[in-house]
Amino acid sequence: MAETKKIQPDLSFIRGLMEAGGDTVNRCYQCATCSVVCPLSTEERAFPRKEMLWAQWGLASKIAGDADVWLCHQCGDCSAYCPRDAKPGDVLGAIRLNAIKYYAEPKALADLLSNKAGVIGTVVAAFVVWYIVAFLWSLHTGEGFPFPEGTVAYHKILTFVPIDIVVLPIVGLIVWAGYKGVTAFWNDIAKASGVESYTGTAPKPAIGPLFSKYVVPAVQEILAHTRFEKCGETKERAKGHKLLLWSFIMLFIVTTTVFIINDIIFVPLLHKHFTPMPLWNPIKIFANVAAVMLIVGIWMIFQMRKQKTAEGVLQSSEQDWILIWLIFAVGITGVLAELLRLMNIAGLAYPIYILHLATVVTLFLAVPYSKFAHLIYRTTAYVYQRYEDDMRQGKAGFGMEKDVLPPGPPEGESTDEEKSEESKE
Amino acid sequence: MSKKIGLYIYTGDGIGEAVDVDKLLELATSEMSVAVAKKHEDLYGPEGLAMIKADVESEELNAIAVLGLSFRYDFEGLKFPGVYVERVGIRELVAWSKKVKEDAEDPEKEKEHIQELAEDYVRMAVTRCQKAELPTPDKLEEASEAVLVIGGGISGLSAALEAADAGHKVLLVEKEPQLGGFAAKVRKQVPVGPSYDHLVDPVVNDLIEKVQNNPNIDVRTSTEVARTAGAPGQFRISLKEAGTKSEWDAPVPLTEEEKLDENGNELSAEEQKKKYDEKNEGRHDYMEVDPNAEIVGAIVLASGWKPYEPGEGEFEHLAWGNPNVVTNVQFEELAKAGKIKRPSDGKEVKSVAFVMSPGGKEDDADFPYAGAVTSLVALKQAKYVREDNPEDGKAFVFYQHMRTPGQYEYFYKGLQNDPGIFLTKGAVTKVEAAGDGLNVTVEDTILGEDINVDVDMVVLATGMVPTTKFEPVVNFAYRQGPAFRDLDLFGGYCDSNFICFPYETRRTGVYAAGGVRRTMTIEEAMEDATGAALKAIQSVVAAEEGHAVHPRTWDFDYPDFYFQRCTQCKRCTEECPFGALDDDEKGTPKPNPTRCRRCGTCMGACPERIIGFKDYNIDIVGSMIKAIEVPDDDDDKLRMICFACENDAYPALEMAAKNGHTWSPLVRIIPVRCLGSVNVSWIKDAMSSGLDGALLLGCRYGDDYQCHFVKGSELANRRMDNVAESLNSLGMEPERVKLREIAIDEYDKLPQIIDEFVEEVLGMGPNPFKGW
Repeated sequence: MAETKKIQPDLSFIRGLMEAGGDTVNRCYQCATCSVVCPLSTEERAFPRKEMLWAQWGLASKIAGDADVWLCHQCGDCSAYCPRDAKPGDVLGAIRLNAIKYYAEPKALADLLSNKAGVIGTVVAAFVVWYIVAFLWSLHTGEGFPFPEGTVAYHKILTFVPIDIVVLPIVGLIVWAGYKGVTAFWNDIAKASGVESYTGTAPKPAIGPLFSKYVVPAVQEILAHTRFEKCGETKERAKGHKLLLWSFIMLFIVTTTVFIINDIIFVPLLHKHFTPMPLWNPIKIFANVAAVMLIVGIWMIFQMRKQKTAEGVLQSSEQDWILIWLIFAVGITGVLAELLRLMNIAGLAYPIYILHLATVVTLFLAVPYSKFAHLIYRTTAYVYQRYEDDMRQGKAGFGMEKDVLPPGPPEGESTDEEKSEESKE
Repeated sequence: MSKKIGLYIYTGDGIGEAVDVDKLLELATSEMSVAVAKKHEDLYGPEGLAMIKADVESEELNAIAVLGLSFRYDFEGLKFPGVYVERVGIRELVAWSKKVKEDAEDPEKEKEHIQELAEDYVRMAVTRCQKAELPTPDKLEEASEAVLVIGGGISGLSAALEAADAGHKVLLVEKEPQLGGFAAKVRKQVPVGPSYDHLVDPVVNDLIEKVQNNPNIDVRTSTEVARTAGAPGQFRISLKEAGTKSEWDAPVPLTEEEKLDENGNELSAEEQKKKYDEKNEGRHDYMEVDPNAEIVGAIVLASGWKPYEPGEGEFEHLAWGNPNVVTNVQFEELAKAGKIKRPSDGKEVKSVAFVMSPGGKEDDADFPYAGAVTSLVALKQAKYVREDNPEDGKAFVFYQHMRTPGQYEYFYKGLQNDPGIFLTKGAVTKVEAAGDGLNVTVEDTILGEDINVDVDMVVLATGMVPTTKFEPVVNFAYRQGPAFRDLDLFGGYCDSNFICFPYETRRTGVYAAGGVRRTMTIEEAMEDATGAALKAIQSVVAAEEGHAVHPRTWDFDYPDFYFQRCTQCKRCTEECPFGALDDDEKGTPKPNPTRCRRCGTCMGACPERIIGFKDYNIDIVGSMIKAIEVPDDDDDKLRMICFACENDAYPALEMAAKNGHTWSPLVRIIPVRCLGSVNVSWIKDAMSSGLDGALLLGCRYGDDYQCHFVKGSELANRRMDNVAESLNSLGMEPERVKLREIAIDEYDKLPQIIDEFVEEVLGMGPNPFKGW
């Protein structure tokens, strides 16, 4: 007799999923229309039919080891064509939210940042903390508090030193939590593929090839939004998302550049502040363009989601809206802070600036703990997918011979031969 | 009575072009000596009908032959009091189905063939007019309109109410001390109307109350039917207390084995009689009349079903025998009693596996006597587990077939939404004790793997066995015995299970409803009961008016017996598919016209040829065959007779003609009521009058039988085997007589069947006895 697997459905998992936006999961009757109409599902990685069934049966660990849910961009095509109105797209969205919580460490932060009150509370708390820091810093600098005298310049209230003192530990936490989550996720999905390395751990490539062969092409694909743009029903969402992603990258470049020029060169060596930059400064122009892109991008996303939700193409959970509003808040407070500084309205500019810092810190925190974590898990899934493809074809090296893996994933029906031919194309 | 015959030929629809109608009229007046012979191009229009009417009145015609459209079209204008009307569809049988081929070598000869065919139809029609009489309806003087309903469950209650609401007195007999049947023993039930997505409280109590308050319904609980004697319109019902013996219990005939002695030789009539009397000691003879019997006109049989109870050792791989493995009915009892507790230790049940198919990987069939109901009940009972444990209850349903037809799809959808109900197709290969519970192994699941689950209980979705499987229930005091004659096809269901005749049993006037007919839900049973009640009422009316029941409701004729020549061979009494014929001590048949469905099987069976109808008997058909002109000097002009069953084969011929199919003009077709009514003497008549072959077209028989009279074509086939032997002994090819089965939707194959037969006969050459 074939090996049987003990099944213990996790009712609380199903309930959690239903509460997180997957309330339609039980309507599925396994016709697989979804997997067929999905523009992103492939023969080798067919979804979302199997995920629907696993979810119905409360097979939490099975779903945790499933990289395919992250290849879904919630286009909504499956939901549009589903004959039972089971909305697979939304169920997969809910599965992803649950997975983020599953891999989050500590879980309390994930709980905090997954609801409106928690996020607003975090922003308010950060706002208060920043003011306390600013107050303490004013004792050191002798600048006026809460409104330093003279022309508005934000380094008067907080220089990079106190900011970094606060932000760097948070970044450390984010990096640590992200690393923990990604490695746990990788182990689960690699284990689910049915392979173990010689040491009994989940297979993973060495750092060099990891980046050159898998991370770089995956990131390129993400930057180009190649897959997201294949979406049918909610194709437009990809545009806003692309704009937003690029604005984040540009802002990252600006922040890094300014960090180097100001925090490393100007202040310590020249003993003067590089910021605020004049408006003609190319870095400033670049930054302002990015800021506009961020606001436009998030606005497009917001409009699109609102419209598609109203049309019933997709459902939107609390977390979807939280992330949108948080990014929006970061963008608006940032632009306002700049404008108020230029208008030299100290009474408003400083509080808005502090609020901006509070939203930024909250957004940072959200990276591993909220929907924002799709950034890291989807990227990981993209990377893993390339790696697994190579493993299946025996190209991954590291002792992974051609026939280490079974000829095909459970759902695929194509033979080895067909597959290698496809890969040549 | 001497006949004054008028003959009318329709010349429209291509008939006038296909044949020389004037020559046919000439033939009718000269050779066949009819009083009037006329043609009309719009014979069925007001003008044509007026012409016939005028002739009938002025010439005092008492029989008319109308050649044109099929007799299967009904024309009020062709009905005249006291006038026999014979209608022949020469439009279909001649004009449409015979074509002179454009590339024919000798078109004149082909036209001649067609003309001769039409001439023979004229001869046959006039012959029938000469011989046939008008039927005189046998109306029951004192027909009862009351309806007996056997069974006080959901079906019986519904049928009783329907019949009572239609103005009929109802006698409702229930074996148990209280009404309600199984429908009253459930915790909740599958819905009986929109919305269909949730369980509802049992609806039966409402029906019980209505029945008890209905003045037209006489309820007898703790009562059984001892015997049912008589016939539709005049059934005599002897009742008795349930579970007791009665002098009026219906006697049981000897089985085939009982008729043999130790050596396997058939016992003599006296010995059989002795054995029969011993067997039925203390019971009145079946022909004896119970003076205290209740009189009813028709019967609705709603005696329901019994749960399938697996035997010891059965379903061993499913751990049947373990106290925590129960049937769905046992589980229902646990659920009805309150929160479900495990039989072994009384622990509250949190998880249950429902097994729908017992066969493991080898056989995906559901349990015996299961159906859509067992799927629905498994879903329903899964919900019980969830109702008892909303937080952590788990119900697994393992199925090979999830059957939720029609609106019940909403029920499936509704229950599927419960996160604690887990459904998968799969083969349950093993159930075994594990700890204090059970472990269930399921292979080939849609989860893509073989799985096993730990559960507190396992429920087997066993089936509903009809009560008629265990006992006769109606207990007929009929010649053929107290039970419905079993076809050995449907596992004891009393229903004839022929798709065209729902509710019909093999006893006229008795209509089955509910679980005794097939597995069905409460909702279906209520609807079913309505249908059966209506059928019962129809049969009462038929008995009153003296016509047959479905499928020959227009037929006022009934078989006539010339008893002086009866040899008591008992073939008719035994072969009657509906047990219409009883007999006396000597074995002389005793007809019961209202039990008769006019198929003529008795007529086909009778070796003495003493059974016949007024317009359809051995002499009429034999004379029609002899009326066919047989040229004895032309090897191209062979003649074949075809007996086509009126129910499927003949309509199929017409459909073929209508759809432009053609077949050989050498075949003359005589419609027959059923192949069972074809008497072998007709074959002899055909052969002795020089015809070269005979083809019998009837319904399919066997497992998927389509015979409207159950066994007609099968009987005919058996009789033709004997004919073949006789032909052989005369030195004739047995292949000259053939029987072919045909379904009505295979009309397009019919012409080929006929033409192949004709080719075969042409190959054999003329009948060697031709010209004798």
